[in-house]
Amino acid sequence: MDKSTLLLLAVILAVFGASVAAGHPAWGTFTGIAIILLAAGLAAGTLPLDSQAYFDERIGPSQRISNSLITLSSAAIVAIYAAGYHRTSPAAHRFDSQALQQPTATIAAVVSPATANPPTNTPSASSSATPATKKNPRPTAPARKPAPAKPVESATQTRYKDGVYLAWGSCPHGDIEVSVVIQDGKIASSLISQCLTRYSCGWIAPKTPGGGLPDLPSQVIERQSPKVDYVSGATESSYAFADAVAAALSKALQ
Amino acid sequence: MHSPMLSPQPYPKRSNNDLRRSLALMGTVVTVHVVGGEQAPGETAQRERAVERAFGWFGGVEECCTRFEPESEVMRLASQVDVPVQVSTLLYEAVQFALAVAEESGGAFDPTVGYAMETRAFNREHRSGKKIETALDASTSVSYRDVRLDPQNRTITLLRPLILDLGAVAKGLAVDLATRELQRFQNFAIDAGGDLYLGGSNPDGEPWSIGVRHPRRENELIDSLRVSNRAVCTSGDYERRSSLDNSHHILDPRRGSSVEGVASVTVVASNAMLADALATAAFVLGPAEGIRLFDRLSVDGLIITPQLERYVTRGMSEYR
Repeated sequence: MDKSTLLLLAVILAVFGASVAAGHPAWGTFTGIAIILLAAGLAAGTLPLDSQAYFDERIGPSQRISNSLITLSSAAIVAIYAAGYHRTSPAAHRFDSQALQQPTATIAAVVSPATANPPTNTPSASSSATPATKKNPRPTAPARKPAPAKPVESATQTRYKDGVYLAWGSCPHGDIEVSVVIQDGKIASSLISQCLTRYSCGWIAPKTPGGGLPDLPSQVIERQSPKVDYVSGATESSYAFADAVAAALSKALQ
Repeated sequence: MHSPMLSPQPYPKRSNNDLRRSLALMGTVVTVHVVGGEQAPGETAQRERAVERAFGWFGGVEECCTRFEPESEVMRLASQVDVPVQVSTLLYEAVQFALAVAEESGGAFDPTVGYAMETRAFNREHRSGKKIETALDASTSVSYRDVRLDPQNRTITLLRPLILDLGAVAKGLAVDLATRELQRFQNFAIDAGGDLYLGGSNPDGEPWSIGVRHPRRENELIDSLRVSNRAVCTSGDYERRSSLDNSHHILDPRRGSSVEGVASVTVVASNAMLADALATAAFVLGPAEGIRLFDRLSVDGLIITPQLERYVTRGMSEYR
């Protein structure tokens, strides 16, 4: 049960206990006080209840023997995986290395059609855009015709092609679709367009930002990168989100 | 180099969509095979990244748990006696699990055999041939009871100078962590030379077929199992031998010498860490007691003696 629910329950019990003690002579003050004490105990119990301590208690050495080794080993694997020994987002690192190689590729792609035959430019550009436009009926590719000078400038820094890019990321408990909007070569917005996970995506992307909860879509804009923080308690979802952003951005590089 | 004791055999014909990678890691060859099937655009790249992360765990676990690197977390722990040392979640959980198996098996499995292994010339990393010698005042015999855990502060305290050998835990653990990375693809196999996890079904849509090596005849199988969503681990006396007296690599922690009486143990369990540790424990306990341990912990197993007698749990028939 949630801590706040428990606390609410304790308050209700306390009020009920007080009313019993005051207004029900038949039940007697003793019953009322007993209910108040129960409420106090409940409230006190909720306050220091730390989920990590609770977890330790359950698998701690005192109960190790009675717990089966199957449970202990599964819990250990989950704990280590969640702590993430090596996961300083290799997906993002890989993406970075792709991005570094990309500018030269862009130049080559732009230069060759300009020198040889311009008609091939249009189909190749539109074919790379199809995955995005197919899912999203609103086409948003204003600056599709690149002037030969422009990409040369962009070779110094990573520049994305303007447009809306959609991509999926998945984790064991479901899939997340992210849409990334590129304007003037920068990430202008990122949002979760479909959340098909078993748990609410509110854990990684709160509906009302600024509540102290981690907001991964905002991090993408701030950092201009798929390198987001992994949210404790929602690591799988964070991972799926980061994967999806990386996939969407790689489309924007093509 | 020893040949693999177990292998998903024969790797069935693969469709072009299958992704298969092998890397030399943790002193063995690790192979990851993700079965293809229908793929959405972009999924290929996601698979590649997931496989990369899966391999990454092997490196991460080895870095933490290897006896062959003086700078590894487990070796830095060995230099401190009677001091509570704060350790990573990985090391803490691995040691906690190893101690639980030690207790459950009455010390037949014991992670404190590290120094005894080293002195018996199991002190070379098989990949690089790098040799390690640790100066320890180990005149007194040690056991798993000399390791204390503090779950509150996540510390490990060694009460005596000792080296933790997480060999029978680490590789299985790495397989399990890699499994978590690949779980979303349902049908996959991870083979880390004797420690396997088989997810879903093989490219033919059937349970994975796993060959169990004949303990005395190389390149021959003594049995084959059909499994799905299970880890399979085999421990054999033919794997690695001491350069001193040709004794094999599994020590009886209670006597300090290699065990005779068992040629190979195969365990089928829900995860590879458990399967590997219990295979090692059963090796020491011997066939009859080993099977009793499996039954008590509800895992399945097959124990083969040097005379090629077979001891199996009742549940093993499910994997035929």
